[in-house]
Amino acid sequence: MKMGSKHITGLALGLTVSAFGSAAMASDCTTKIGTVLPTSVDWGRPIAETAGFAVEQVNEAGGVQGCEIEMVLRDSQVDPKVGVDAAKALVDLDGVQVLIGAVSSGVSMPILTSVTVPAGVAQFSCCSSSGAFTTLAEEGGTNGLWFRTFATSGVQAAVGAKVAKDQGYGSIAILYKNDDWGQDISKLIAEDLVDMGITVTASVAINDGQPSYRAEVTEALGGQPEAIYMALYPNEGASVVREWLSLGGTQNMVMANSLKSDEFRDNVGLQYLGNALGTDTASPRVASADAFVASYKERFESEPNGPGLSNSYDATMIALLAMEAAGKDATGAEIAASVSRVTDPAGTPVSADAAGFAAAREALTAGGSVMYQGATGNVRFDANGDVSAPAVVWSFTETGTQEKQYVTLQEVDALMMGD
Amino acid sequence: MIQNLVDGVLVGSVLSLGAVGLTMVMHMLRFANFSHAELLSIGAYSALVFDALFSAMMPPLTAAIGPLSMTWALALSVVFSLVITGLSALLIDRLVFKRVREKGSELSMVFASFGVAMIIRNVVGLIFGLGTHLYSKDIVFAVVLSRDPLLLVKPDQVFTLVAALLIMLIMHFVLSRTTLGYSLRAVAENPTLAQVNGIRLSHMIALVWLVGGGLAAVAGIFYGLSNQISPMIGRDLVLPIFAATIVGGIGSIYGAVLGGFIVGISASLALAILPSGYSPSMPFLIILAVLLIRPNGLFGEEQT
Repeated sequence: MKMGSKHITGLALGLTVSAFGSAAMASDCTTKIGTVLPTSVDWGRPIAETAGFAVEQVNEAGGVQGCEIEMVLRDSQVDPKVGVDAAKALVDLDGVQVLIGAVSSGVSMPILTSVTVPAGVAQFSCCSSSGAFTTLAEEGGTNGLWFRTFATSGVQAAVGAKVAKDQGYGSIAILYKNDDWGQDISKLIAEDLVDMGITVTASVAINDGQPSYRAEVTEALGGQPEAIYMALYPNEGASVVREWLSLGGTQNMVMANSLKSDEFRDNVGLQYLGNALGTDTASPRVASADAFVASYKERFESEPNGPGLSNSYDATMIALLAMEAAGKDATGAEIAASVSRVTDPAGTPVSADAAGFAAAREALTAGGSVMYQGATGNVRFDANGDVSAPAVVWSFTETGTQEKQYVTLQEVDALMMGD
Repeated sequence: MIQNLVDGVLVGSVLSLGAVGLTMVMHMLRFANFSHAELLSIGAYSALVFDALFSAMMPPLTAAIGPLSMTWALALSVVFSLVITGLSALLIDRLVFKRVREKGSELSMVFASFGVAMIIRNVVGLIFGLGTHLYSKDIVFAVVLSRDPLLLVKPDQVFTLVAALLIMLIMHFVLSRTTLGYSLRAVAENPTLAQVNGIRLSHMIALVWLVGGGLAAVAGIFYGLSNQISPMIGRDLVLPIFAATIVGGIGSIYGAVLGGFIVGISASLALAILPSGYSPSMPFLIILAVLLIRPNGLFGEEQT
């Protein structure tokens, strides 16, 4: 019984006429943008509402190219088939040039390959993390139409390698879960480690539910590494580490965020984890992120604690800024090409609100470029439409985990560029 | 390479214990019992309960035995777990397999065993949670037997191997030297003829379940000692144990012992040749190879 579409129109138009003179023109025309998000699941609805919030603010600032933005929202039901149908309807019937969505990589991917890329529509996703998009973009399969504001496994790999280097490890064995995610991150970190001059002595796949991990651990032990990197889940992670330690393996460990678990800590024993450092992505600690939290609280009267909210806001805002930069009646390809103009590190800084959008319009009209300072910080896409994120380094404590180090977006970017 | 071989032998000893029970049940009742590995789970968890119980009641028992991570409390629990698991196996037979056996075909028995496996696994998960448990959180460090080539062995694993071999030796003597053993073998060979000779079939079936369950309990506890205990023990071990049984030849206890070691060693050695992600495929490859070359397994005889 979920509604198929929801029209969010500018709420506060009349109220802000005094503040933004151009708002009066906004009602002359409307431009539609499409949104395919899982509104029928409890965590999906806030993501859609946050996207709508960005649209409200832009309309408050007078809309895009003098036209009010109408966000047509369709439910993906976290189902690739439903998502593709919804995206097709938005592109074919509503004629949108910009599509926001989806959340799951498994839904975003078929929409990208079978709807937006063939139709030349720009697609912005808040939350898809799969490495498959990077691969597709590298192969030229996205035609530069794909952007996401959610960091990939590359961030954790880069930070993991940095931790290894900072600790002074000369050689590392990688143990990874034998699935998409594990294979992805193990390849990435192996490259990062080698770039930093650290020897990778072995890269061992761990299948879950094995009668014994001795053989795998023995293989990793063979190269006598100074440390191990683990992209494992808590269950087999604990088995592997216990085996590893009992065979005399080093206690120098670097872990992906998947091992941030009490079960893992308890089953291995805190006394063996003194030298174990984990990595995780973090929300940015910059003024623009705090400003988003404040404005979100004002609008929704709750903290933006759900997954992907700040990412959803930025995806929508950047899409709208790019539409503004691309000019009137721009095609999806033109909008996608304009993204770099609104996320330009050398551009005029603009904030993530109505005033920021108005300021951006001024700068863009004058022929300049802008640097969008959003809810996830100063978003910058690489050639594949990927972003990075700040990260934290953590360690285990009696009660949970503690933060050892905060790696800012700039530092992460520098690490990722170093690849 | 030597290390892989030794590791394989140690894993193999657990598989062998499980396979011996399975091969007896499969031979005597003539159906592929996919719920057998769940008995390992029952064994491991009941030992966990008794271990906690004895440790709480008699604190001196929490001392570890020599260099092992096994405590006296756990050693005592093995005996109780053995009985509980044997009785559980018997109970499952009474409740499910006996009824299906009387009415359905062999295929119905196989499907019933799938159902039983699911039920046991989920009941264990309901009671103990889906997380993992350990008998002891201490990590017992391996002893370096040789530096070049590097050879490391954990005391627990040596104990497991010795205990498994001892149990198999006892099984061998019981089967080859006692009247009970003769009766068991007679029933396995030809149930009708055995009954004509005055052997109570129902008693023998009960005995097979008790012995199979007991061996499974020991295998489950040994597995828990060197790995960890989770409700998924059965799911994770069912295929290696089946592989061991099929390799050895259904009905052959010596075959099952050998099969366990073959599966353990080859899965371990496979890592030396294959990329690490492929080691779980070894048991299947072995099953295929054995079935193609010796359809009745290494020690199996054609069943009439």
